[in-house]
Amino acid sequence: MPKLTVDGIEVEVPQGATVLQACEEAGVEIPRFCYHDRLSIAGNCRMCLVEMEKAPKPVASCAFPAGDGMVIKTDTDLVKKARNGVMEFLLANHPLDCPICDQGGECDLQDQSMAYGFDRGRFIENKRAVSDKHMGPLIKTIMTRCIHCTRCVRFSTEIAGVDEMGMLNRGENAEITTYLEKALASELSGNVIDLCPVGALTSKPYAFKSRPWELTKTESVDVMDAVGSNIRVDSRGSEVLRVLPRIHEDVNEEWIADKTRYACDGLKRQRLDRPFVRVDGKLKAASWAETFTAIRDKLSGMDGKKIGAIAGDLADVESMLALKDLMTGLGSPNIDCRQDGAKVGGGARAGHLFNTSIAGIEEADAILLVGTNPRWEAPLVNARIRKTWLATDIEVAGIGPRLDLTYDVDWIGAGPQTLQEVVDGKHPFAEVLKAAEKPMIIVGSGALARTDGARVLGAAKKIADSYGLVTEDWNGFNVLHRAASRVGGLEIGFLPGEGGLDTAGMLEAAGKGELEAVWLLGADELDTAAFENTFVIYQGHHGDKGAHAADVILPGAAYTEKNGTYVSTEGRVQRTRYSHLPLGDAREDWKILRAVSEPLGAKLPYDTIDQLQKRMIELNGALARLDHVAAGDWGDFGTDGAMDDAAFTLPIDNYYMTDPISRASQTMAACTEAFLAQTERTGTDG
Amino acid sequence: MGEGAFLEGYVIPTAIIVAQIVAVMIPILLGVAYLTYAERKVIGAIQLRQGPMTVGPFGLLQPIADALKLLTKETILPAGSNRIVFLMAPMLTFILAIIAWAVIPFDEGWVISDINVGILYLFAISSLGVYGVIMAGWASNSKYPFLGALRSAAQMVSYEVSIGFVMVTVLLCVGSLNLTDIVMAQQTIWFAVPLLPMFVIFFISVLAETNRAPFDLPEGESELVAGFMVEYSSMSFALFFLGEYANMILMSGIATVLFLGGWLPPVDIAPFNWIPGPIWFGLKVAFLLFVFLWVRATFPRYRYDQLMRLGWKVFLPFSLLWVVLTAGVLVAFDWVPA
Amino acid sequence: MAFLDRTARSFLLWELVSGMALTLKYFFKPKYTINYPHEKGPISSRFRGEHALRRYPNGEERCIACKLCEAICPAQAITIEAEPREDGSRRTTRYDIDMTKCIYCGLCQEACPVDAIVEGPNFEFAAETREELFYNKDKLLANGDRWEAEIQANLTREAAYR
Repeated sequence: MPKLTVDGIEVEVPQGATVLQACEEAGVEIPRFCYHDRLSIAGNCRMCLVEMEKAPKPVASCAFPAGDGMVIKTDTDLVKKARNGVMEFLLANHPLDCPICDQGGECDLQDQSMAYGFDRGRFIENKRAVSDKHMGPLIKTIMTRCIHCTRCVRFSTEIAGVDEMGMLNRGENAEITTYLEKALASELSGNVIDLCPVGALTSKPYAFKSRPWELTKTESVDVMDAVGSNIRVDSRGSEVLRVLPRIHEDVNEEWIADKTRYACDGLKRQRLDRPFVRVDGKLKAASWAETFTAIRDKLSGMDGKKIGAIAGDLADVESMLALKDLMTGLGSPNIDCRQDGAKVGGGARAGHLFNTSIAGIEEADAILLVGTNPRWEAPLVNARIRKTWLATDIEVAGIGPRLDLTYDVDWIGAGPQTLQEVVDGKHPFAEVLKAAEKPMIIVGSGALARTDGARVLGAAKKIADSYGLVTEDWNGFNVLHRAASRVGGLEIGFLPGEGGLDTAGMLEAAGKGELEAVWLLGADELDTAAFENTFVIYQGHHGDKGAHAADVILPGAAYTEKNGTYVSTEGRVQRTRYSHLPLGDAREDWKILRAVSEPLGAKLPYDTIDQLQKRMIELNGALARLDHVAAGDWGDFGTDGAMDDAAFTLPIDNYYMTDPISRASQTMAACTEAFLAQTERTGTDG
Repeated sequence: MGEGAFLEGYVIPTAIIVAQIVAVMIPILLGVAYLTYAERKVIGAIQLRQGPMTVGPFGLLQPIADALKLLTKETILPAGSNRIVFLMAPMLTFILAIIAWAVIPFDEGWVISDINVGILYLFAISSLGVYGVIMAGWASNSKYPFLGALRSAAQMVSYEVSIGFVMVTVLLCVGSLNLTDIVMAQQTIWFAVPLLPMFVIFFISVLAETNRAPFDLPEGESELVAGFMVEYSSMSFALFFLGEYANMILMSGIATVLFLGGWLPPVDIAPFNWIPGPIWFGLKVAFLLFVFLWVRATFPRYRYDQLMRLGWKVFLPFSLLWVVLTAGVLVAFDWVPA
Repeated sequence: MAFLDRTARSFLLWELVSGMALTLKYFFKPKYTINYPHEKGPISSRFRGEHALRRYPNGEERCIACKLCEAICPAQAITIEAEPREDGSRRTTRYDIDMTKCIYCGLCQEACPVDAIVEGPNFEFAAETREELFYNKDKLLANGDRWEAEIQANLTREAAYR
């Protein structure tokens, strides 16, 4: 533990810390461009120069290890002169086109040149110009602005795990480029935009749209996958212009996936902004009162058993609870929040959670992936695994189709037989799990959505029980969900009641004409053809598959338009915050359900969101604390029995389009075209 | 009665009187119109402006444009007002300002009604003027007009007293209430010369009597918006306006008759006596009107208590003193007229 | 003596007479009035009148949608929306000034890095309806074309002080 003095303040830092970290410890701000907490040290921008006693020259604090007894000075004339000089060099070839630069207003170079820069330029020669590089539909490049900090290169190699960026040539000819100007094929590529301290890499869909000072910043939570990434929604008026990550060390660190970041343009297309009622086979715009009348006329007097409700992937806990209470009031046991048919939930709480927690992955030393593609189902979980893989000698094995997950995976089999072999201890990886101190199993939601899903879950539980995955202070059993609503729905028991039908059952009953009405709460991933003769009430925010099949459309709010509770795959309770009001006549979903419950004669007993959330907490105490993970109890779940032989298939065949919002997004369509055609051709991805 | 007798007995005298009235009224109304123009021009000139310049050559058609504007405006009757009184008030003001002209002589014999109590008649008519103001203020049923009307009533009553005494001094010197006699009495010297202090007091009191600056408290813009005229618009407002300016001309006419020798030339020698009397009369009235405007452009408005102090504590004793003094001088030197 | 003097002045209304003499003097002085629509007073080259969006001599609009004017506008009268033009350059798709909100402070032209938005010498743009005072980009560019000569002359004259 070296002790050193920074500007007269004595600080003690851990062994191996750098001078820059010591300065931060002392509360002294050191300007920097290339240095980044989560990336390796490059030391090439020289902005962090500080004066050290007994050193002949200023030292680059980011790369200089802190030593005992060092005396660091950061406010001397020498340091100021050094910073001035570095700044002047950096600006010598910087185009100073701030007025047309999208980074303007949130640019490190801009801010630091104001704070530490020289007050004029003496460089009168011609500035260099660098041709722009093609980096795909997400990243816009203006390479003349680049100051060669190489943060993007280090990010793509280290965090994203795609060795596609690098620096070519030397000196004045140095250029950052992608390999053969290929698009950066990573689900985390958008993060290089945040990392870039200047305007060299900017967001292409957001190009020239707005300035940071115009935006209303709302701290929210992502719902594009079940990770619950913390995000900041930047909106202007009723338009979400961009989504940025917020730092949450236990969830997304400071990265977010591309779908999270870029699907926001889907929030203004294909929106349902007024109620519709189907008249003579055609959907016609109607008033709320007319839709309520249509619903009442159809549902009143109907046997509750002939009504069903399915919650989609983007529903918040509040609206699911309101729908559940409404269905109970109508006497219907047919409710299900698992529109993919995953056989999960109902048993012990640990049976549907990512119990290890995402941050917990870093402690693991063996991982078995079952029927999952974490790179697509939860890119940030995958990034965590890669981070652990880089830092430790963790062993990762997978059962399912071969994939490139950006780290070495031992693909030990394709289907349930291999899983059974591990259960029975016949497979060598069983020994690895047994030997590991903190082993993990990650069961993908795709593996559970099979008809034998319950038995797959049972097998995974057996592995957990028999190989010591669950101990006093470690729970290595994980289900990796991919829908933001799923865990929340399971937590409040949005599951078939006694004698009730699940999703598959409802589809079958509807096909047979036994189910007369179905309420789809944003459920779009269903085979709606089965509802041809069923009265479909679709409540949601996008005109997707469910809305096309609907007889009545109730326009709801998207996640940026409501304060909704979501429970992430690890059981973390988080809440989205509304950045603007729902579009047009649309309303928050729980309000719609509360309003329609009155004409239906099953009035819901809450008038405010607070009352509803109180009821939610009464139902499940685990939902009480925000940003809190209540540990799941280890108990019975899954079933025993032989599994089918069919190999595991992956549930996502297009990462960029998995839900109504991303399907409506033009950026995501461009990504599909740019990346999926390419990856299929090169065979680097499944 | 024969047809000719009827014609001679009724129709012709009536026609003659109507023609006389018209002959007096039209110049007065024109005078009023161009007095407003002159006011803007004079005040403008004193403030180094040009005044109206746009409508017609040198803005000469401006009064006509203003009249048209006022005529085409909507007459607003406030909901809480007493409509009959509200509408009668401007008419009364205007009528009183006009009928006083019946006794004003423009030249020897040039008078509609040469009564021997002319000065008394004038005094009575000008005293009635306060009724128009009071009625307007009361009928408007509104704060500002009411306050304005109260101020106006008090002010007019106060200065009426000193005006009365000033007239008495003149009457003492003339020995007749007939206006023509008063003018003829000034053939040797205008009363403005021997009775100069009285003339000044009379003129200042006239300013107060006609609610002109610096005594325009009833309509003080800064405190009462427009005083008793706040609620008036269009033609009813125009009548007040006409009445006020007609009063100014009337008062100038009375001052001319009492102090400036009416239609008499300043000195009875050529070329002054070549000029006909009515023109002398008009010139004198015009000069007094110019002084009205000049005063307005020069002095700031009096405070109300100053106004009252001036009326009761200065002018009243002073004019009373002069009545006694004049009477004393007349008796002492045996100048009392027969 | 002073008492006598004061009393004499008071009784002879000396102050009133001297005041009236002064106003009479002014009555005959030459007048300062400018008969506005026919005669006009001189305008400073720093005059802040009606807004205009300028173009480069080759016809390219100057505005690059940096939104600095929008940010600095204390009355929030300016609304800008931007997106990449076909050639990839940064341009406004909307540039609105609400002339009824504008307080003519001139901060927009000071903020502009390319001298695109300027307040020209024109102040005679009264309109009969409010809507006519909600200027859009076309109107502003048309203003720029119409007043370019005067604006350019003013900018040249002021260049030394900026």
